[in-house]
Amino acid sequence: MGYVAVKGGIQAIEESIKRLKYERLKKGTVLKFQEIEGGMRCLIDQVMSESSLYSETLAAMAIKQAEGSPEEAVFLLRAYRSTLPRKHYSRTVQSEEMSVERRISSSFKEVPGGQILGAANDYTHRLIDFDLNEETDDEAIAWVREYALESGVDNDQTDLSDLPKTLDYLREEGLIPTCEINNNEPDDVTKESLHFPTSRSQRLQILTRGQTGAVTSLGYAALRSYGALHPTVGELRIGKLPIYVNSPFHDQKEDEDAYYIGEIKVTEVETLFPAEVQKGKGEKEIEFEIGYGICYGQNETKAIAMSILDRCLETGNPEYPPHNEEFVLLHIDSVESTGFISHLKLPHYVTFQSKLDSVRKSKK
Amino acid sequence: MIRKRRTRILIKGSSDVPAKLAQEIQDSYEVKKIEESNNGLVMIKAREKAKQSLFYLGEVLVTECKVMINGFLGIGMVQGHQPELAHNLAVIDAAYNASLAETDAWKKVLLIEENRINKENQTFMNKVLKTKVNFDTMNV
Repeated sequence: MGYVAVKGGIQAIEESIKRLKYERLKKGTVLKFQEIEGGMRCLIDQVMSESSLYSETLAAMAIKQAEGSPEEAVFLLRAYRSTLPRKHYSRTVQSEEMSVERRISSSFKEVPGGQILGAANDYTHRLIDFDLNEETDDEAIAWVREYALESGVDNDQTDLSDLPKTLDYLREEGLIPTCEINNNEPDDVTKESLHFPTSRSQRLQILTRGQTGAVTSLGYAALRSYGALHPTVGELRIGKLPIYVNSPFHDQKEDEDAYYIGEIKVTEVETLFPAEVQKGKGEKEIEFEIGYGICYGQNETKAIAMSILDRCLETGNPEYPPHNEEFVLLHIDSVESTGFISHLKLPHYVTFQSKLDSVRKSKK
Repeated sequence: MIRKRRTRILIKGSSDVPAKLAQEIQDSYEVKKIEESNNGLVMIKAREKAKQSLFYLGEVLVTECKVMINGFLGIGMVQGHQPELAHNLAVIDAAYNASLAETDAWKKVLLIEENRINKENQTFMNKVLKTKVNFDTMNV
């Protein structure tokens, strides 16, 4: 099948782009980046996660340009990202180093360090707050000032930047198999195209940058019917991870010689899957397997769904689509899926005409 | 003071501190620009907890700058688009690498700033800890 170049639409395209600008501005409102950064936290987190580029300011710009369309904003950020050099790789980040802002477990009531609710919609009534229509900048500033003056707890010595991992206690009890530290260098899906079967590092990289809706839907499908799983969230934590980069001009990769460059907010989930394990003499035992999910920003549903899909893909049952790595990994990327669907809008005059000719001939 | 600790203080703290320290050096030494502040990416390598393996979490936008003082290179690297801060960090890094006398007096300044950052962090943690659940089992 060949493509045929056509011309003649330049003026129409220019006018179409003007219409797009008109649609963005016609109500006479110009959104400031700071307003988007300040008030669209969750959308910014989603866009940063799906574009795999952490920058709240760039995400706010992309959201403004895209008029709030996450798929368009992700496209813009991925395109911008491709113009920048990758200067360094960070030192390995680990969630034990997280400065925790929220941490819950649905498996254990009394987790070491406690259940810390932090900021979440889970405990709200989900009723539209019509008072927000009257909210003013002055009121907001006054509320924040008042909140800052409220005293915090003074009798709790918990160090939120050194919270133990809940599942480590299960490991110590022998209820979860321990595994050796694996220092194999990860594969990078942005450098090499994907071949099946994939490595674990490729799967995790694709899942963490997957489209939120797609990851959630496939995770839900895995729970609902395809494999009848019912995992439990061992630990969900949200907080900031410090990022360090080794000095590029010193041979020794000393930890203390590293550069601190800032911190990123992430959501991390470890999910427990009970599994029957065959022991000797026909005996069976229940053991727990772990699914792992993590994503930029606060996006709990995506991180939980990722942990489910991680476990599904580790099991790899070809009977169920959510356990099939080709099915999952090739369909959850925002730019790939929306790009391919969108290409159907582009002119297909020649191919469609040839099909039409075939239909006409067959009717004769 | 080791680089890991001082860069954390200089980035987490007030931007006035690196601005003041860098100015002190620029007033007394020739600072040669090797690389103007420019944007780039840092790929984050992470360790997951299920299998303890490594993977790439995604990239972070950074600003990087390189300068030279007395033949010693300094690098400034910071998350986001912060060209001025990256430049100041590079000057301070070069000053430490060149063991300039001024850096001896900086320890005190940095410790004061670190103390302020730690206090702020403690206030933040105390607020977050107000959301910790105290479970009471109901007698029903």
